[in-house]
Amino acid sequence: MAYDDLRSFLDTLDKEGQLLRITDEVLPEPDLAAAANATGRIGENAPALHFDNVKGFTDARIAMNVHGSWANHALALGLPKNTPVKEQVEEFARRWDAFPVAPERREDAPWRENTQEGENVDLFSVLPLFRLNDGDGGFYLDKAAVVSRDPEDPDDFGKQNVGTYRIQVIGTNRLAFQPVPMHDVAQHLRKAEEKGEDLPIAITLGNDPVMAIVAGMPMAYDQSEYEMAGALRGAPAPIATAPLTGFDVPWGSEVVIEGVIESRKRQIEGPFGEFTGHYSGGRRMPVIRVDRVSYRTNPVFESLYLGMPWTECDYLVGPNTCVPLLKQLRAEFPEVQAVNAMYTHGLMVIISTAKRYGGFAKAVGMRAMTTPHGLGYVAQVILVDEDVDPFNLPQVMWAMSAKVNPKDDVVVIPNLSVLELAPAAQPAGISSKMIIDATTPVAPDVRGNFSTPAKDLPETAEWAARLQRLIAARG
Amino acid sequence: MNHLPVECPRCAFEEISLLATSPVPGVWDVVQCGRCLYTWRTIEPARRTRRDAYPDSFKLTAQDIENAIEVPAVPPLLK
Repeated sequence: MAYDDLRSFLDTLDKEGQLLRITDEVLPEPDLAAAANATGRIGENAPALHFDNVKGFTDARIAMNVHGSWANHALALGLPKNTPVKEQVEEFARRWDAFPVAPERREDAPWRENTQEGENVDLFSVLPLFRLNDGDGGFYLDKAAVVSRDPEDPDDFGKQNVGTYRIQVIGTNRLAFQPVPMHDVAQHLRKAEEKGEDLPIAITLGNDPVMAIVAGMPMAYDQSEYEMAGALRGAPAPIATAPLTGFDVPWGSEVVIEGVIESRKRQIEGPFGEFTGHYSGGRRMPVIRVDRVSYRTNPVFESLYLGMPWTECDYLVGPNTCVPLLKQLRAEFPEVQAVNAMYTHGLMVIISTAKRYGGFAKAVGMRAMTTPHGLGYVAQVILVDEDVDPFNLPQVMWAMSAKVNPKDDVVVIPNLSVLELAPAAQPAGISSKMIIDATTPVAPDVRGNFSTPAKDLPETAEWAARLQRLIAARG
Repeated sequence: MNHLPVECPRCAFEEISLLATSPVPGVWDVVQCGRCLYTWRTIEPARRTRRDAYPDSFKLTAQDIENAIEVPAVPPLLK
């Protein structure tokens, strides 16, 4: 089933026992972030959280951890909540093949109910803003879908970008914004700033659950996130026209913020506790002037806790990072079986592959580093055989311990590109990268003593499926 | 509330402005440093609101702010 807005998805989470309503009064800080932080420490099927009694607020409604478990991620895709992770990724990859699915334009967006404009814009009066981590420079919008267009080709629907970026609230109508140079909005901004022009922008908060997934997904520059959302939903994505910018924004958003990134201006931003498990920032970043806010009556403010993994962020971008890499690798190397890029947005990737000939696995690892996402991430690749499940870390550790001869199987390449947030980069944006080939050598690479492996019994796969069904039926 | 703090916990700057007040009157204010833009709610724990309790690792000096790198760098204007 496809959800057109956040509220309908929250209803489903509630019915499935995956939404915890916290009605006792809580403090905006540190309670909201600490509760969401705790969801990452209580097991893989933690619920979403909904708060409606926050000290000092009258009408605050706050949702957190909406995608923060495998159960919630499955439900977001309309799958049974107990769907195993590997199956969720495979189903994601299968639906990808329906891309592109044209969106459906609707005119009756519920966020048209209320408006603030110009001097009257006051984000604090619309949103119950709060801090996440101790060292954060301020209050952040960290789960928005941000829409921008290519200033040189504004009518190209595919080049219109929808992405998630960190946004610090630095005034009642001012935001600081982080466009990582590898990301599409940074290309839009560069083109606008080269001409000395502001870049119009629309920031949508509280979106339907698939919109949040595609906004955090590494897609090609000219691929439309809305057309991908349609493929993943199995139904056209509902969109509407934003009143100030004319941009295409999700129909079901709770809040639509419009304005411009002011050209050629930078202002101090951050730090912010990031998905890398480290703070980054304290840098001079672009700034946004907000000119218009449209919002549903009593909007639900959706936020996301991130910090030391695993947090909601990892569930949100884990599968959607695996799938593009899987598709791009398989396009040229059909031997690739599965890709696990779920650790720190793919800074480390595990790939299982069959081998065409000796040395082949290392070539697959190098290709992973040169995919569009790999250029900014993929600092370490572990290659495993086709019969090793890269999502099964004990199997991966077995392959590493039994099949790696460090002298021949570890390759380090110096001075490659990585996103500036990577804590180990030196200088920021540059890192050496490593391939660990934990596959069994094949001719003409004849090394080691691998002629008598112990294999699973022929009946084991059937029994594994049977046991999973029995466990699922038990509930 | 509206009794503004006298200095920024993070950079010790002494110009603090009011950004928001609690919808329930008198519970908290949200205030901001005029130099480093640090933003805090007045009822947050001392480790986020008081200079003497603020962690040294997150403190900023005027020099830190002036010398912070631009990300992304402003590109040259096309002629």
